[in-house]
Amino acid sequence: MIELRLYLHGDDREAERLRELIAGEGFRLVDTPGSDAPKTLLAGFEESLPAGASRETMARRIEEMERTILELRNLDVAKSQFLTNVSHELRTPLTAIVTYGEVLRDGLLGEVNARQREAIESMINSCRQLLSMIEEILMYARTNARAIELQPSEFQLTDVVGHVYDMNASLIQQKSLHYEAKVNGALPQVWADRDKVVHVLGNLIGNAIDFTPHAGTLRVEARRSPENPAWLEVVVEDSGIGIDPRHHEMIFQEFAQVDSSRARMHHGTGLGLAIARKFVQLHGGKIWVESTLGSGSRFFFTLPSVEAGERLGAA
Amino acid sequence: MSGDADLPRVLLVEDNEAIRGAFSILLEESGYRVVQAASGAEALHASAAERPHLILLDLGLPDMSGLEVARTLRAREETGSTPIVALTGRALETDAEACMAAGCTDYLTKPIDTEQLLRVLAGHLDG
Repeated sequence: MIELRLYLHGDDREAERLRELIAGEGFRLVDTPGSDAPKTLLAGFEESLPAGASRETMARRIEEMERTILELRNLDVAKSQFLTNVSHELRTPLTAIVTYGEVLRDGLLGEVNARQREAIESMINSCRQLLSMIEEILMYARTNARAIELQPSEFQLTDVVGHVYDMNASLIQQKSLHYEAKVNGALPQVWADRDKVVHVLGNLIGNAIDFTPHAGTLRVEARRSPENPAWLEVVVEDSGIGIDPRHHEMIFQEFAQVDSSRARMHHGTGLGLAIARKFVQLHGGKIWVESTLGSGSRFFFTLPSVEAGERLGAA
Repeated sequence: MSGDADLPRVLLVEDNEAIRGAFSILLEESGYRVVQAASGAEALHASAAERPHLILLDLGLPDMSGLEVARTLRAREETGSTPIVALTGRALETDAEACMAAGCTDYLTKPIDTEQLLRVLAGHLDG
């Protein structure tokens, strides 16, 4: 029964249903719980079959479905590839603009006065913002195409926390935020893809900086997960504007922004937390938020330590 | 232009003309002599002809893979020990290990911070 292959490496229940269909029985068992392609097609299959359809008709229909699914998958891959290419093409000229800007700012082509330098600095900052947005879209496209493979290694969360702080130090100082990092030195190492963890923490800290008023507080903590001590939990806490509990799920979805007018003041594509969630999930971890409006936010995510039982994709 | 011959020579391999121009100005104004190459083939030719002290190598070249260029440079006697600093453009495609395995000495991710670039260059040229 070659027709079964496609479903057999997907959802087992689906395969079971298909078996029943092939056996010429149980047509009516098919429902459409989700909207993803195989299930929808399966429902379409059921509806489009005349009562008492022959085995040949069914086999032909299943072949058509297989072809359609394959086409859809190829289309999805092509779309992601297109996004990747476009992002790359967009970045190249921006890189040139940033570099020329820095050359001018640093007076390499002649002295610039303070106001000129300020103008150039704004130009460079805007370009960098644009670049980081393009970066996010690119990353999203790649995550979406499931093209991302983890490259796990053992490392201390302290290092990552320090690294992400360094990346954001000037912004933290600009806003006079009180920054506190609490990382127990005795924690076991994590077994994770360091770049991804840097990205997740960088995103949370970036958001915390964005949404916390001048002279607010920003706290980062790494500890053993209370639920499972072989896992580590990172907490990023801020004294910012907070998030209505109604929106706690939504903010992790693609292109979601709680308040589009306010979000527009802050940078971002609305992809940051969606990407962070994907990265954490790739590690088998969880990411969530505890917050109410006006009382700051606490973002959490978990990662496996080297003590965790199963190791993902050993490098 | 007298005294240029004494300046450290950097071979800049970058296919994008604007980026090449920006880096050239940056490097020249910072006290380096810059030899430009816009492709892998040009890089291989220029590295033999100009004997640079350091090679800045963009990995996304039109004619051949940047890693391939790095490996070829490493295998040659005249550039066997010349520092090669790779410039990588794509997030998450930056495979530091692949860079190092191909013989690069260091790598930087675009957009390159000019101060960082100059620091890295100075570090490798002093050593």
